[in-house]
Amino acid sequence: MTSRSESSTQPLAVKIIGCLALGAVGALMGYGLSNALEGNVDAPWSDSLALAMAVAVLTIAGLSAITLALRPSTIPRGCGVLQIIVFLLAGLLFLAPMYAPVFAAPDIVFGGVVLILAVQTVANVMLWRAADEMLRQVMSETGAMAFWALQTALFLYAAAERLGLIDTISGWGLIGIVMAVYLIASIVAAARRGIA
Amino acid sequence: MNNRLKVLRAGRDWSQADLAAALGVSRQTVNALETGRYDPSLPLAFKIARVFEQPIESIFSDAGA
Repeated sequence: MTSRSESSTQPLAVKIIGCLALGAVGALMGYGLSNALEGNVDAPWSDSLALAMAVAVLTIAGLSAITLALRPSTIPRGCGVLQIIVFLLAGLLFLAPMYAPVFAAPDIVFGGVVLILAVQTVANVMLWRAADEMLRQVMSETGAMAFWALQTALFLYAAAERLGLIDTISGWGLIGIVMAVYLIASIVAAARRGIA
Repeated sequence: MNNRLKVLRAGRDWSQADLAAALGVSRQTVNALETGRYDPSLPLAFKIARVFEQPIESIFSDAGA
């Protein structure tokens, strides 16, 4: 059989540059996260989780940009830039409520968050429309898995809270958990199709 | 579901990217189809049949059959 593989046609230099770029992104992200966590030892767990989610999605955005530059054929057509935009905006959404109040009033920050969320929603819809049928199925499966896991966990949490067994979790903490579960679900759904 | 996509593609000396372009899907989707990780929708299956100029049943077969 003479079937050709895309990965085998990559020049060695491109592979080396890609490895170096991935290493650099990982090092920068690790350095930034450790610095941020060390500087906020008294921060609530919800802020730490939100920061971790922001770093995660920004890392994914960076890796997606590198992949798009080095191996554009591995990205569904029309999706690469949109995916990067969605991840970048998700990172901003997690960072803004924690760090933007240093520079602007809370109501201004909230207005910015609403604006970013609106733009990200449009980008998500555009991403859905640009995706092919398998990527749409991965998105659908991600949503289904995340919903099932979260509604199960939410019911258990709500029951325990109603019974006075556990403390109330803030909305900020809950959205960090939602994003963490969604990321894990997306990795599982993508891996099942051989994407991750 | 089993399929002969890889054999048919190799017979035409197409890369996965070539086939993906012909079908209007990503290379990842072609790879997932060939490795049995994804079963195509009926419209995509018809498109594949048209591209290879063969009936669907000669390309896809039920794994349990």
